[in-house]
This record gives sequence, C-alpha cells and structure tokens, in this order.
Amino acid sequence: MAGVPLRRDVVTEQAATLDVPLVELVDRLLNRGVVLTGEVTISVAGVDLIYLGLSVVLSGVDTIRQHGADI
Amino acid sequence: MSLLLRAIVAAEDVGAAVDLGLRSVSGTRAAGLASAWDTGRAAGEAELLDHHRVVQAVFERVPCLPARFGSVFADEEALRARLALREADLAAQLIRLGHRCELAITCAWREQDAPTRATIAPARSGRAYLERGLTQLRGERARERRAEAIVARLLSELAIEPACIRHRICPRPAVAVSMSALVTRDAIDELRSRVARLGAQLPDVTTVMQGPWAPYTFAVSE
Repeated sequence: MAGVPLRRDVVTEQAATLDVPLVELVDRLLNRGVVLTGEVTISVAGVDLIYLGLSVVLSGVDTIRQHGADI
Repeated sequence: MSLLLRAIVAAEDVGAAVDLGLRSVSGTRAAGLASAWDTGRAAGEAELLDHHRVVQAVFERVPCLPARFGSVFADEEALRARLALREADLAAQLIRLGHRCELAITCAWREQDAPTRATIAPARSGRAYLERGLTQLRGERARERRAEAIVARLLSELAIEPACIRHRICPRPAVAVSMSALVTRDAIDELRSRVARLGAQLPDVTTVMQGPWAPYTFAVSE
C-alpha cells in the first residue's frame, strides 16, 4: 500500500462504523437475548473466526492509522 | 421442518408479524415467532445477521424480546411446550422491556499499543522476558483504569438509572468500553447528542452509538 494516500478521517470512519460495531452486534446475537432451550442449539460455524476476522480487520485499520496519511 | 426461534411477543400481537413470513406459536399470554429451519443447515455470519434483521423487523412492529440465536425446536408442539414453562416470566419481561430499546455505546481505542504475538521478537533472556511481561501487565492495568474513568464519564453524562445500564471494560483488545442502555424511543435523540458531545471530549477513544435494537442485553435467560 506504500504511496497510496489514505486520509485519516476515512480510516477513522471505517474503524468506527464497520468493524467494532459489527463485533458488538455479533456479541449480542450470540450471547444475549431470551433463551428457550430447544432440542437443538445451532453451533455457528467459525464463531471464533468471525470474532478473529473482525479483530484482525480492526487491528489492520489501527496499524494503518498509526502510520498516518503517508501510507 | 424444524423451527428457529426469533422472538417472543405478547399473544395478542402475533398478527402484526404475519407479513414477515414467520410461524407463530401462541400461549395464553406470550407467543414465539420462528422461522422454518433445516436442522442440517450450517450457520455462519450471514445467518447471524439475518436473525438480527428478522428480530428488528418484529421489533419495529410490536414490542418483543429477542431470542438468542440458535434455539431450534422440532416442531410447533415442542416450542409450545417450552414456551408454556416460562410464559409468566416472559409476559412479565415483555411488560418491563418490550416498549424500550437497547442502544449500544462502544468506545474503541484509537491507538493499539499492545503488539500482537506475531510481532514480538523472542526475548534474549529470562529477565528480558519477565520485564516485558511486567510492562505488558502494567499497560493492561493502565488501560483498565482509563476505561473505568470513561465509564464514570459516560454514566454521569447519560444520567440513566443504573438498572438500565450494563457495561464491560476492555472486553476485547480494541475496545475500552462496551455499554448497553435501555431507553424509551423518545429519549434516543437526546442520548445520541449526549454521547456525541462526550465522545468529542475523549481523545483516546472513538465513541460509537448503535441502535435502537431490540433489548438483547436486558432480556433475562433461563
């Protein structure tokens, strides 16, 4: 990505509106809400990967942000 | 075909969600809204987000309690039997929560100062290893103290009764504070303004408010 201008506010907006909020929502869907135990509880394939994937994206955005507009 | 539970509504409200294509299973006071579900079907992020869309669609029409994702029942009778066991509790929760919504307030660190394992060079000695661990621990404690201070600012600014607030500090490396507020719809705009005003005064975090959502965090499980 070297040499590609990347404005700080754009990066901040991505971090703020995409990644963290999605993790927050997924967290509620999986861990909150009324439980009426059914015969089967669906295991969500790759839950850890969903969290990890979103975290990696966020970490990537933060790393980019640390380098400021020169990246 | 099995049923995936989406939400609980008052028995008299089941008609309001007919156009959503949901199956309703009614008791005397509460009813479950569910979707047909193939038990052999895998679930991933798309199914999770679809659950949220369905819950929100119900929530926009009538007061509801969102179901935690993943409960599947063999048929309507199985769901009805389970519903009957908790109907009084669910009806009481609907009265307490059904007309209110959840706002999610998240403060994410602007800077990630903790290096990932992949970027950490091997320690040259045992002493160096321990010193690095101590430094990391001190950093984590400092972040927790800062997160607690942010929570105090949020609680003061939002002025919501404690029973209507849940929060966690540092639940994930990128997040300082994850907070849920239970509010009435007419309070949302004022709360949004307060969060934005406070967020502008917190230089080390990005503050985001999401919602209104159905009250996931405040619905009580079995």
